[in-house]
Parts: sequence; C-alpha cells; structure tokens
Amino acid sequence: MTKRRMFFRMITASLLRRRSRMLIALLSIGIGATILAGLVTIYVDVPRQMGAQFRSYGANMLLLPRDDAVLDSDHLAEALKSIPPEELIGAAPYRYVRLDMTSRQQSFTAAGTDFSQVPKTSPYFSVEGTYPEKNREILVGKSIADTIGVKVGSTMELTYQPAASSEELTPEESRQPGADLSGSAEGFGGGMVYVSFRLDDRGAIASLEVDVSTQTPEYGGRTAEDEAFLSRFRGKTLPLAVGEDVDALSGATVTSEAIVTAINTARKTEAAVKPQTMTFTVTGILTTGGEEEGYVFLSLQDMQSLTGSPRLDVAELSVSAGADQLESYADTMTRGSDTVQARLVKRVTRSEASVLEKLTALVFLVTLVVLLLTMICVSTTMMAVVSERRREIGLRKALGASDRSIRQEFLGEGLFLGLLGGIMGAVLGFVFAQVVSVHVFGSPITFQPLLLPVTMIVSMAIAALSCLLPIKRAVAIDPAIVLKGE
Amino acid sequence: MSLLELKNVSKIYGDLKALDNVSLHVDQGEWVAIMGPSGSGKSTMMNIIGCMDKPTQGEVLLDGVDISRESSKNLTDIRRDKIGLIFQQFHMVNYLTAVENVMVSQYYHSMPDEKEALEALERVGLRERARHLPSQLSGGEQQRVCVARALINHPELILADEPTGNLDEANENIVLDLFAQLHREGTTLIVVTHDPEVAEAAQRTIVLEHGKVAREVINENFGKGSLQ
Repeated sequence: MTKRRMFFRMITASLLRRRSRMLIALLSIGIGATILAGLVTIYVDVPRQMGAQFRSYGANMLLLPRDDAVLDSDHLAEALKSIPPEELIGAAPYRYVRLDMTSRQQSFTAAGTDFSQVPKTSPYFSVEGTYPEKNREILVGKSIADTIGVKVGSTMELTYQPAASSEELTPEESRQPGADLSGSAEGFGGGMVYVSFRLDDRGAIASLEVDVSTQTPEYGGRTAEDEAFLSRFRGKTLPLAVGEDVDALSGATVTSEAIVTAINTARKTEAAVKPQTMTFTVTGILTTGGEEEGYVFLSLQDMQSLTGSPRLDVAELSVSAGADQLESYADTMTRGSDTVQARLVKRVTRSEASVLEKLTALVFLVTLVVLLLTMICVSTTMMAVVSERRREIGLRKALGASDRSIRQEFLGEGLFLGLLGGIMGAVLGFVFAQVVSVHVFGSPITFQPLLLPVTMIVSMAIAALSCLLPIKRAVAIDPAIVLKGE
Repeated sequence: MSLLELKNVSKIYGDLKALDNVSLHVDQGEWVAIMGPSGSGKSTMMNIIGCMDKPTQGEVLLDGVDISRESSKNLTDIRRDKIGLIFQQFHMVNYLTAVENVMVSQYYHSMPDEKEALEALERVGLRERARHLPSQLSGGEQQRVCVARALINHPELILADEPTGNLDEANENIVLDLFAQLHREGTTLIVVTHDPEVAEAAQRTIVLEHGKVAREVINENFGKGSLQ
C-alpha cells in the first residue's frame, strides 16, 4: 500500500467513523457553500432576470433611417438579425403621417405600426378595448377620443393628402432623357405662364404645351396657338437662351421670355397622387399618460395603402441585454447597413445599468459576509476537533509524525470536507436560488454549469483557510502528553 | 555494547530537580525495568529516553548519538527510527481498525504494508481481530495491538510506560510473554513500572527515588520463572 493510499484511508476513516463531529463541520461548510452557490447563481442571473423586468419600462433601442435613406420592413428584418432572438423582446416599426378627418375638419398624427409588437416594446400602454387585429381597425389616443367623442366600435373616415412636391430635384437634375417636366414663370403684367413638355431620349425638347391664359389674348396670348413659334423649341436642349436658340414672338416679347424661363426652371412632374380615404373601426382607446394619447394607430398595411409607400420612420426595440451588449449590437447594426442607424435610449439603459450595479454590489457584499461567517464557523469547529483529538495528535507525533504530516492530515480532512460541502452546496444552492428566483423574480433560473466546480473550489479554499489556525494548534501539541497516564 | 547511556543527566523545573545527576547504561538486547514511586522521576526519564524531552544538564547517548542537544525535528526522526513506544493508556487512533493502527506506525516510518501489519497482529494473537475498531477490543487486546505497533518497524529499543497498568493478570502475563519473546529475538526493552511483578520479569531493575538512582537489582531468577 502506498503512503498516499494510507493517507486517504486515514482521512476518510476520520470523517466517516467520527460522524457526529464531522457532520457539524460538514454542515457548516455545506450551508455556507449553499448560500454562496445560491447567491452566486442569483448574482450571475440578476442581469438577465432584471433585464426582463426592466423591459417593462419600454424600448431601449431605436432604429432610424440613415441620412436620406428610406427604411422599410425588409431593412428592419435584416438589421434585427444582429440580435439573438432570445434577447429581442420586441421590435415595433412606426411610420408617422398626418391624416385628416374631413367630417370634423381635424387632422391627427397617425402612426402605422405592427400591433403584435407594440405591447412588447411599450408594455405600459393601457388599452380600453383591444388592440386592432385586422386591417381597417384603429386604436385612438385618449385625448383624440375625448375631443371628437369616439368610442370603441365607432367608425372614423381618415384621408391622406399627399404633399404637393415631395421630390426635391433641381431643374438641372430633372433634365433626364424621357422625363416629363413642368414649370412656371411670371409673364406680362404679373400673370403666370405655365409650361409642360417632354424630353426625348437625347434630352432635347420633344413636345411642348404652354398655358398663357393669364396673358393679353392679342399679344402674349398668341404664343399658345402659334405653331411656328412653338416649333422653334423642338429639338433644342436646355437651357435655352432668347435670341440664340429661340427668337421671341414679335409683340409678345415678355411672354416669350417668360416661357423660356419657365422651361429653364422646369422640374420633373410628380406622378399625380390622389388623396386617399379609408374608413376605420375603433377597437380600443389608448391611455399612456404621454403624447401617444394624441395619436391614432393603424396597421402598417393600411398605412401603406393610404400613402402608397412602405417607408418607416423609426423602429422601437426592446432588447434584454446589458448596456455594453446593447452598445455592441447597435454598433454592429449601424456598421452592417447603409440604411439603418441604431441608437440607444440612454435614459433607459443608464438607469438600468445603475440599478444593476447597486444590486450586484449588494449580492456581492452579502456573499462576502456569508463566506466570512462560514469561515468563522468552520474554524471554530475545527478548533474543537483539534482539542478533542489532542491525544490522537500527540500519539501520532510520538509515533514519529512530523509537523508536516500533521499539517497535511488536517488540511486533507479540511479539503475533503470542503469538497463534500461544496458538492452539497452547489446542489442545494441551485435549489435555493431557484426558489428565490421564482418567488422574487417570478421566473426560473438557468443552470450555470460552472457553478459546481466554482463552489467546490471556493468551499475547499474556505475550508483550507479555516483550518490554518486549528492546524497551528495541532502542530504545537506536545507528544509527551501520551505518556502521562491519566 | 551499550545502546543507551545517561551521563550525569539532570532535569530541573524551577526549584524542582525531577532528575538529579542520573547516570545509567543499558546494553544492546538487555531487558531493564525502571521502578520507583510517583514523583521519583520515572516519567521525566521516560520522556528523555523517548526523545520527547531534553535534559537540562548531562548527555544522553542513544545508539552512539547524543540526543540531549538535538532539535525537536531530529528527535522526532530518531524516535521514529529507533524507538517503539507502548503506553499505559494504550492510545490507539479510535477511528482506525487494529490493523490500520499498526499501519499508522509504518506510515510515519516508511511505507504502510498491510500484509506485514497483519503478520505483526498474528504475532500478538490478534489476526482475527484485525478489522475491529478499538472500541470493539478489550483492554488487553488493545495493548497487544500497541505491542504489534511498537515492534512493526523493528526498533532498536522498545520503551514501555506502565504497559500492564490497566490490565488484568491474564492479559499482563500475555504482554510479559510477548516482551520475553522480543527479548529472545534481541530487542532491547526498557519497561517503566511500579509493579514489582513486572519488574521481576526483567533482567535488571533500576529503582529511582527523588530523581536519583537509589539502587539497581539484578534479577537472579531471570529466565527461570514461569513467564517464558
């Protein structure tokens, strides 16, 4: 038999055959390790747990279109791939426009959104009635509802009036081959002259119509009918100069020059967008305590039907992650796309971070205190064990045990106790953490695979440290005590 | 040839001279008893011979080495290598079995060897009780385990402190028989006792009184008695 085997045989025998005393030591280490493992588990899980809690305060990240880019649902879906699905609580897209309620001579801000996501990113929204589930259903803010007196079940007719010119092109940018252009300029006596024409595939004027109804019929008014005059413009490229490209019609110089100016300043003609009107059924009245009470909310599909555009103004994201992690997601999304830029809602992320910091500091402190108490408890028990075994230690020394052997044996017993206590603590600690988590946070905890080795190592270290003083006592025992018969 | 020699050894505790200028020698293979009333200095002498204490004055030569000035670490080594101890209170490790108790001695000395330890128990007639804990053994059996433990490392000297003090007569005889066997095999035995019968089993008895050697008695009947 090797010395090592004998060593283990001795320390296991000491622990197994001297049960009652060792049980107390084991229990104190085990309980310490249990609380340690439990607190560490909670400590590790707190950001996750609290993260989920925090998400009830609303979105913590915004996705915006970058510069002049147009953001749509596809871009949004692409950008969201950067966030692990289990961390993404919700992502609500929004498109804001003004809609008119012609029957009441009122207009409201309308938000097109995805109603399946709104309760996730804005859990504090309180809806009387229900969220819309189908198209042509609408959610109305409390203050609008009060003003115009709508209730759940009422209908509203809303109209989208497109803006006069949404495309802001310069006259030069407008001069593309095949383009339809229109322009205007001040003519004789302050009356406006209108032109509309098409460019051919070389960029030269192909056809021209003029509206000179504001001009004097006998003078400027003749320009519209004079085919010879109008034909002077065909085949000319812009910009035109009076006297070089075209000669003014005699007796209508001012009008002729106004036509040239109108042509030179002409811009691309907007495809005519007719006002769109839809009738909606109110399914819910929204109370938020914020500006949303002055909005109406409709589905993105309805919004697209009204405006003819799939563009989004913003997407609100609720992500269950720490501030640093959020920062990195935002960074990835912004860098990986030329349409999207991600921003953190600092007000939310900062307060989350500070609450978490305080909470983790508290758990850390409690853990430290528990460790210290465990150490004191184990140390006291081991001290009692040494006194109880004075005679045995004396005997061992009389039989030739060196101080080193005595140290090794006690440390061995301590480490063995630490190991057993650690295993016990890891298992019970997980149960403890689970109970705390379910009762405090209302959700089960995830098992940390590192918990077992970490608890074992820490409790062994604690046990070893606790043994230092008792070992010092043990080593100081005089072997001669075994001789003095009592 | 002398295994142990005390030259003018004194041990002084304050005003008390526990040993007062004691000189004696024990030859290799000799069986010596040390007797005396309590307070005579027996225990002090035992501590010094057993390398568990050092004299205030004088020299103690064990196997030619002066142990009176050695460090306590060296004394531990010398005790482990040369001396087998037997105590009045038996002193077994109470959570180890008989054979494990013998092996503890091997463990500190060199290598635990269960087979050898079982043989030693066989020698003291306890082969069948090898797996018993001390609490399951009688006093006599415990002391026989201690004898096995003392002889397992083949020490130069077996030092026994009142080995039969807690034993009945039958067990006392068994232990003395074991001593006689060891003596025949050439082991040096020093037995501290206050029991004249135990002393008479030895070749020579040194009587201590007030820290001094009062007299020495050679046992004329050694080897002729019933304890063989």
